[in-house]
Amino acid sequence: MTYHTLLFALAVCFALWAVMAKKLLTSAIMLALLSVTVSLIFFNLGAPWAGVFELSVCAGLISVLFIGAVSLIRTEDQSRPESRARFYALPLAAAIFAIAAWFYLPAFFEELAGWKRMGTGGGNIGLALWDMRRPDLLGQVLMLAAGVFVIKSVFPRKPQASRGTGVNK
Amino acid sequence: MSTFAIDWYIIALIMFIGFYSMLASRSIVRQLIGLEIISKAAMLALISAGALTDNLVYAQALLITMIVIEVVVVAAGLALLVKNFRVNGNADVWNLDSLKG
Repeated sequence: MTYHTLLFALAVCFALWAVMAKKLLTSAIMLALLSVTVSLIFFNLGAPWAGVFELSVCAGLISVLFIGAVSLIRTEDQSRPESRARFYALPLAAAIFAIAAWFYLPAFFEELAGWKRMGTGGGNIGLALWDMRRPDLLGQVLMLAAGVFVIKSVFPRKPQASRGTGVNK
Repeated sequence: MSTFAIDWYIIALIMFIGFYSMLASRSIVRQLIGLEIISKAAMLALISAGALTDNLVYAQALLITMIVIEVVVVAAGLALLVKNFRVNGNADVWNLDSLKG
């Protein structure tokens, strides 16, 4: 219970830090640490496959993507920084939300938990993925294809005539 | 009070932080970071509900799909960021409409 609560508290801290950090690189690193904390929560809740995917894909791949993009725009971001006042107000806004929500959200979630329908709990992840959720797998393949198509259309191949002109469109 | 209710209360707080980041900033990177935080909160809610109802196998299968979608969304968002930076020289989300056509 203590370990579980500590992980959730850490997740809130890393989320706050990721939003409030002045440097974008710090934000990206805090987001990676948030992913690591979330994966530890998954392991703690008894969901090891979700934890492994979260750790490898979200804490690994997405962090690399973010750090790569941030390193590209870092100099521009530092030369024209955003106003920090709204970000410094975040802890106050979060505290107001936490206090206001404390009076009705936990009671609502208690009621929600009362409506639960227990599952069978059987099977394994391989059976669920390959036999029972095949449309999901097809959807994943289509999503990956859509992502490749988006990136291909955002960065089209330059026409032959405009090559070497130095025009960067 | 049950652990489930407390977990979901904290998840709501994490989601609020993500929404705040998306509302307060004009930088595409910070918008995507806010989106990621909201996505983490949704994942926690999914697995927590799976653990509550003893349905973790299906929750994990659904979460793997969600992670794939998240990766594609982030990759597409960062591609738009790079394109916007090349065209406009900044990462302002309000300049994205200059990419059309």
